[in-house]
Amino acid sequence: MSLFQLNPLTVKKINRFKSIRRGYYSFIIFVILVLLSCFAEVLVNSRALLVSYEGSLYFPTYGAIIPGKTLGLDYEYETNYRDLQKILKEKGNGFVVMPPIPFDPYENDLRDGEFPPFAPSFEEGHYLGTDTIARDVAARLVYGFRTAIFFSLILLVVSYLIGVSIGAAMGYFGGLFDLLFQRIIEIWSNIPFLYVIMIISSIMIPNFFTLIAIVLLFGWIQMTWYMRTVTYKEKAREYVMAARALGASNARVIFNHILPNTVSIIITFIPFSVASGIIALTSLDYLGFGLPAPTPSWGELLSQGSNNLESIWIVSSVIVAMTIILVMVTFIGEAIREAFDPKKHTTYE
Amino acid sequence: MKFNKQTVLMLIAFVMLPSSVLAAPQLPANIEWLTNDTDKVFSSPKATKGGTLKSFLLSFPLTLRYVGPDANGGFRSAILGNKMSLVASHPNTSNLFPSLATHWAYSDDNTTMYFKLNPDVRWSDGKKVTPEDYAFTLEFMRMKDIVAPWYNTYYNDEIGEVVIYDDHTISVSSAKPRPRNELYSHVSINPTPRHFYKDMNGFVKKYNWKIAPNTGPYQISKIKKGKSITFERKKNWWAQDLKYYKNRFNVDKVKYTVIRDINLAWEHFKKGKLDAFGLTLPLYWHEKAKGEIFDNGYVNKLWFYSDPQKYAFGIWLNQDNPILKDRNVRLGIAHSMNIEKVNKQVLRGDYSRKNSYSSGHSEFTDRSIKARKFDLKKADEYFNLAGWSERGGDGIRVKDGKRLSVSVTYGSDSHTPRLVVLKEEFKRAGLELILRKMDGAASFKSALEKKHDIWWGALGGGDFPQYWGTKHSTNAHKAQTNNFTNTDDPEMDKLIEAFRSAMSTEDRISLSRKLENLIHHHSAWIPTLEVPYSRIGYWRWLKLPDVPGTKIGGPATAAFDFGSSFNTSDGGMFWIDTKLKKEVLKAKKKGKKYDPVLTVDKTYKISD
Repeated sequence: MSLFQLNPLTVKKINRFKSIRRGYYSFIIFVILVLLSCFAEVLVNSRALLVSYEGSLYFPTYGAIIPGKTLGLDYEYETNYRDLQKILKEKGNGFVVMPPIPFDPYENDLRDGEFPPFAPSFEEGHYLGTDTIARDVAARLVYGFRTAIFFSLILLVVSYLIGVSIGAAMGYFGGLFDLLFQRIIEIWSNIPFLYVIMIISSIMIPNFFTLIAIVLLFGWIQMTWYMRTVTYKEKAREYVMAARALGASNARVIFNHILPNTVSIIITFIPFSVASGIIALTSLDYLGFGLPAPTPSWGELLSQGSNNLESIWIVSSVIVAMTIILVMVTFIGEAIREAFDPKKHTTYE
Repeated sequence: MKFNKQTVLMLIAFVMLPSSVLAAPQLPANIEWLTNDTDKVFSSPKATKGGTLKSFLLSFPLTLRYVGPDANGGFRSAILGNKMSLVASHPNTSNLFPSLATHWAYSDDNTTMYFKLNPDVRWSDGKKVTPEDYAFTLEFMRMKDIVAPWYNTYYNDEIGEVVIYDDHTISVSSAKPRPRNELYSHVSINPTPRHFYKDMNGFVKKYNWKIAPNTGPYQISKIKKGKSITFERKKNWWAQDLKYYKNRFNVDKVKYTVIRDINLAWEHFKKGKLDAFGLTLPLYWHEKAKGEIFDNGYVNKLWFYSDPQKYAFGIWLNQDNPILKDRNVRLGIAHSMNIEKVNKQVLRGDYSRKNSYSSGHSEFTDRSIKARKFDLKKADEYFNLAGWSERGGDGIRVKDGKRLSVSVTYGSDSHTPRLVVLKEEFKRAGLELILRKMDGAASFKSALEKKHDIWWGALGGGDFPQYWGTKHSTNAHKAQTNNFTNTDDPEMDKLIEAFRSAMSTEDRISLSRKLENLIHHHSAWIPTLEVPYSRIGYWRWLKLPDVPGTKIGGPATAAFDFGSSFNTSDGGMFWIDTKLKKEVLKAKKKGKKYDPVLTVDKTYKISD
């Protein structure tokens, strides 16, 4: 018996998904991008990957900073590896290997006599130029992506946990419980989401997790309606009755019997929720109610770009990046929907 | 008992007698009336009347009241500009000149000023301004109905009373003696139309959109809610031929259109739909103000130096914070704040370093005080002295398991670039600065409530340096006061009390300088940058006097500064050449060029 023995129906679905090319390839690229972004420090960083200085090797990427003094410079604060690279090259007593984009998303690469934003330049290593405070646009784009995608994924998991549980419970128990929650949700969803966020973030400075919590306050609602309807339908089927006749508890019926049969609905919604999570964070950042400065974020880049249309590289980089990501997510969503289309497969006869 | 007519009349006369004696107070005998007709005028005789000045507002005002809830918006200065006071201060010499009063005099005890009222003064509805209207100001400002607690307290605690001597003579007193050159700013009140505010019940709502009669050159003539507000020049304004008001307030109309986005407003300006635009920000002056309309001379540029803004621009360190309590830490912060780099590489070196707390207050400033310079070695010494000598894995200093980390609270997105650069520089010194951007009002509130570690901001000053609110210990360690540094020093208190009670200017100057030195020593307020000029772009048809501004008031255009179109003490010096306007617009269409005009005016520049 193999370790992963998949249901033949699932295999069918996966094969169907694979056969939809643009969705499948988008999925592969997207996963690679997310994985790469986990190791962004290796690819985009002002810290060197490897320093060889007077015979000893240093790997500064992760861990504590290496003060300038350790590497033969005359200061206590963190080594500037780009300068060190030049110095060691001249002296010949070592070498430095820098990441492909040798900038930190926070550092200001200011110059004398010139004023940011600086245009893209391969010589300077700013492949997409700099923003108005001389920070590398590419670096901020990469780290901004990481923030956005993890924001969106965490938001997705938590809001689905809440939404699916409450929705399923509403559908399963029905009656007063259902009625009560319907009204609560109706009232809740009529609260203007954006205003609440504006008010909250003007009195406190949100961080990554409080921002998730705030968006979550309103984000769980959507899923409940779908789950409620589906559960109502499934509840009436014989297999549920059979399970209950065998004495299964409510929780067991909901999570072990009904939920697997509604999974196609949940999965179909996932890609679109990811996209809306990214958009939510970006628009909050754009409006200035999102993550505090100087956190790298797409929304902040977008707002800088739209205020500095003369420096077209800022706004074009972020718009292109956003379009690509959102289009890929949509392709994936489309393919999943197609693969799970009940017209092609049914889970029961 | 039977009364005949005569007895009744006598009785009435007897009852009335004492009150009529009280109702006619006497002017002091040795009164010395002063006036001013010798100072130079600051308007231009070349000015012509006519045209409409087009300006903009970023948001529509929430009310047309000038007191009460929501009245404290930017638009209020347009309303206040048309509310004239008894006397005005000359924007170049700071001497008083006649406004609603033609003459004034001081009492010997320095609490009261006497005023001879100009009999020609009329409200915009044609009614005469009476002495009772001045007395009503006090009554009005002390009412609970206006829902303005600050004004209630101010008029109760700081202002004494208005005494009416006859139809053209009144006196206004301050609750306490003040130096003469400061007294006028408290007692030179403006009248309030008693006939207009008949029923004060429910004032806030009732008068929210009512246009109150005023005494200034313009009155609101048209309101399109949410869209625009137009002011129109009064045809026979009572002051139009007086010496200091002649050739001013020249345009027929001033129209404020609501443009909610500054970038959009800039586009409007470039099309000629706005007459002037502030270019003080380096980005605008150096980057945006380029292209055809500037090169072809349709739009002129003005760089006008005036007295530096009298704001205490700086960072305010909360001394109740356990880290910032230590003076050595504060000195370390002063030496690791690389504001020079911010100025040089972000702001293009356009600003200058503020050096002392009261800089901009001429003699009250001790010019020998220089702000502490960025110097990592010195910063290191001071941080080490305070015990923060170890550095953690991230390069931030640690002591007893705590990190040297403080947050800075600020209220404007446009300052983020400056703080982001400072943050990176602080990091080199081993200090972590966490940026707390709030909206403007929330940031100020957080400082008022002393919830900040460091507050990045400025406090507006009056004509004279003020220390009591920000530095006296009675205002420390409590909410809703301006002592943002929680300064609590008996020596400082003594000096401040002496400063407040000193009457001679020499004493006040020497005390002010001592206070500045002490503030420098404490290093709980660290100066940042100041902007000793304004920069403006204006269409060629907008004309300015030969000296295009005043020492106190700044440049003579109304771009961002609403007040300057109206402000009766220094505004309204510009005029519009309507013929030239047509010509310029035609030239622009045909591509005809003029010589570009760039004026740099250093008449009032302060040299170091």
